[in-house]
Amino acid sequence: MALLEVRDLTKDFGGLRAVNRCSFTVEQGSITALIGPNGAGKTTVFNLITGLLRPTSGRIYFQGQDITAMPPHRIARMGISRTFQITRELAELTVLENVVVHAARDGLTGLIRGSILQHEAERAMALLEFVGLAAMAREKAGKLSYGQKKLMELAGALMAEPRLIMLDEPAAGVNPALLEEIMERILQLNRSGMTFLIIEHNMDVVMSLSHQVVVMAHGEVLCQGAPEAVRQDPRVLDAYLGAA
Amino acid sequence: MTLLDQIRIATPHRLETRSLILLSLALVLFLLPLLQVVSDGYNYVLHVLMVIFMYIAMASGWNIIGGYAGYTSLGHPVFFALGAYFSGVLLVYRGWSPFWTAPIAGLVATLFGFAFGLVALRTRGPAFVISTIALLLLAQLILDNWEWVGGSNGLSLPMIGWPYRFYKIPFYYGMLLTALLAIWVSYRIRHSKLGLFLRAIAMDETKAEVAGIDTRMCKVIAFAISAFFAGVCGALWGYQQTYLRPTIFLTIGAAADLVLINLVGGRGTVAGPVLGAALRVGLDELVVNQVGSTELNITVTGLLMVLIVLFFPGGIVGALRERRHLPRLLDWD
Repeated sequence: MALLEVRDLTKDFGGLRAVNRCSFTVEQGSITALIGPNGAGKTTVFNLITGLLRPTSGRIYFQGQDITAMPPHRIARMGISRTFQITRELAELTVLENVVVHAARDGLTGLIRGSILQHEAERAMALLEFVGLAAMAREKAGKLSYGQKKLMELAGALMAEPRLIMLDEPAAGVNPALLEEIMERILQLNRSGMTFLIIEHNMDVVMSLSHQVVVMAHGEVLCQGAPEAVRQDPRVLDAYLGAA
Repeated sequence: MTLLDQIRIATPHRLETRSLILLSLALVLFLLPLLQVVSDGYNYVLHVLMVIFMYIAMASGWNIIGGYAGYTSLGHPVFFALGAYFSGVLLVYRGWSPFWTAPIAGLVATLFGFAFGLVALRTRGPAFVISTIALLLLAQLILDNWEWVGGSNGLSLPMIGWPYRFYKIPFYYGMLLTALLAIWVSYRIRHSKLGLFLRAIAMDETKAEVAGIDTRMCKVIAFAISAFFAGVCGALWGYQQTYLRPTIFLTIGAAADLVLINLVGGRGTVAGPVLGAALRVGLDELVVNQVGSTELNITVTGLLMVLIVLFFPGGIVGALRERRHLPRLLDWD
């Protein structure tokens, strides 16, 4: 059974069909890339999976369970963490707080406990250490550089102890040194069993990271397969190069 | 590890002098009514302080939803009126003293706030503000036409049976306790998970939701808690006024007051609404004392508030903190 299965997913915005009968799977332990030209509907698919948008039709299964149209916080609690294409840091909170807000919690009683519990602070600091931001823990998140914000979001995503991490263009707008850093972290996490679904335009990143590639164009899934196979696929070349 | 240690050790030692000063201040406020007992002539002072306490309680409560979560409510006068009418009706029809029905009035306001919040807090941003204005107008309409509670003529309440010289004292203590409770609750929330989540919601609600926070439930709980203090204050204030009339409680002006107090003091901070309330009431009394109770007091306080908001967008606490001049005495966050 696939960790994540998207089946016949469709999303209309008024008269516009942004996503059209998309089906693909993400296998446990894999790094799966979701690629396609601008406007292909990749981010919409992300928003559908994480519950920010409700699909017009189609189903989403996570660990065999139907999560279609669940509220986003419940989907997050089930084990899906995501980052955003344009980072969404909580600018006035500290870097540490930005990570800790992702921590799992238990019901109403959890709300009256201290804002940062000892074990959460320790875990968050370990994660910030992992992404190289420990020294910034007490700074306001708004002070970080764009690439650092991406790393902070990765630490936050990990804080939730997810089973699947969805990254929306982790490489975009990041300088090469930090990009190296981010890719290294992703590979490291994947080796210890973490599953990733990644939207990425940078083909070098896609080819070197991913085990599986899902190609989208005009809201539809063109094909899914190993990176080398996908690269040879004429439909993919058409979609990218616009050959008729 | 060093950072963790810093976080833990950062405050306690200096906190003691601060707590000492604040506790002394509280003690002075608790003993102040003795002056009136010893020699008459302090009813005015007690009254002004009582009004300040009331605004501290209501503004600190408002701050929980309006400051921490960033959801501006113009509906809080409804909870104030609800508390006043709840306790007022029990006094008129049952003879029960508002001094002990006030906390129940607060809980009624909380329940009502919870129910209203469940519906209204599905929305975000301006839509929520509009829905609270609608609530205010609806409550006006209902109270104006509900004859059992006096309709637009209002409801006269029996006076408290104390001699004139002492009659302010129980109200003074009632409001003082409510204000202290409000500050304590506000402080506790600011330092709890709920407070962290509310601040996350204020900054980016979508991000907060995706991070796994049940944003709607957090907002509804914050709104319900914030309604409690308006309810208690309403119960005490109505009794103190000895009459209830819809137009006294249910005005946009009263709603705007709570927003202004927070804007001036520092929205989203623990100390902000306390400072703001003291300034708001103090200024108003000062102008009334100097030029008499004309519309001028409203104009002058209004103008001063506009100036403060223009030049200190984060309010007094926010502005001082940004310039790193916030005295520890006022840093309760």
